[in-house]
Amino acid sequence: MFSEDQIERYSRHIILKEVGGKGQRKLLDGSVLIIGAGGLGSPAALYLAAAGVGTVGIADADVVAVSNLQRQVIHHTPDLGKPKVESAREKMEAINPDVKVVTYKSWVRADNIAGIIEGYDFVIDGTDNFAAKFLINDACVLAGKPYSHGGILHFIGQTMTVLPGESPCYRCIFPNPPPPGAIPTCAQAGVLGVLPGTIGTIQATEAIKFLLGVGKLLTGRLLMYDAEGMDFYASPIARNRRCPICGENPTITALHDEEGAMNACDLG
Amino acid sequence: MKVTVKLFATFRIGRFGEMTKEYQPGTTVGDVLNELNLPPDEIGATLINHRHVEEDQQLQDGDTLSIFPLVGGG
Repeated sequence: MFSEDQIERYSRHIILKEVGGKGQRKLLDGSVLIIGAGGLGSPAALYLAAAGVGTVGIADADVVAVSNLQRQVIHHTPDLGKPKVESAREKMEAINPDVKVVTYKSWVRADNIAGIIEGYDFVIDGTDNFAAKFLINDACVLAGKPYSHGGILHFIGQTMTVLPGESPCYRCIFPNPPPPGAIPTCAQAGVLGVLPGTIGTIQATEAIKFLLGVGKLLTGRLLMYDAEGMDFYASPIARNRRCPICGENPTITALHDEEGAMNACDLG
Repeated sequence: MKVTVKLFATFRIGRFGEMTKEYQPGTTVGDVLNELNLPPDEIGATLINHRHVEEDQQLQDGDTLSIFPLVGGG
């Protein structure tokens, strides 16, 4: 049952027929893991906490730097030097004491990611490098874990939701990571500060819809967002029979770290 | 045939944002990528009229080809 405070706090959800008391209970019983407490993870964490998602995990080994503050809105100036996961925990708990925040002050690697994602209903990729993005895809596909991919650079962002075994995965479209150094980092190319707010909020929307079982997920479509031209491209995509992890003859059957990748947006 | 090519983010630097030009029938997406000297390692999504296509896809008169770099930031 809800407390009087909860009925008031979640009243705008509860009066939505697509959510209602049952839906709000699903959110409170639900769990979402956010990997990366940066540009994408910040809005996702804030909205999931506000929505009353019962357990929010957040993984990041970094500390807050002044160059983060232009876009990583969960971190504030007094948090400089603080571990990002602690900074994020404080804001989430301040927004909503109903939320249990679980922190992982580490980078995800092949030898720890399976244990971190285990037990969560949904995963949000808010990382800033290709090695982590491919590892998260592989771990989620092998574990059958639904997740939201997100990426940003310059004025563009992309996102897609993956239901392993049902919808295309990241490797169906992008089979292998680019060679190290091929893609300019956000530190080199820059990134519009508000851009990850849009993409991270879409990722949080997907997590909430998944927990509620409401609506149509961003599966089978790659959403590209061009903030400069203010255009959205939701391109249909299909599963790739030659996908190295979810295709007919997968060559990836165990997790491995993609060597040589580096942070793309947290540097400097 | 006339094709509109749209480039995004860093691909615009030293090139253009949007351009409509004549191509020979049979021109593929890969041909346009080569012509624009876009590094293969940096190519992310290539869309014709908002649909994801591979590099061997042939262009048709009136198509809009949108070319995005890979985006790995967060």
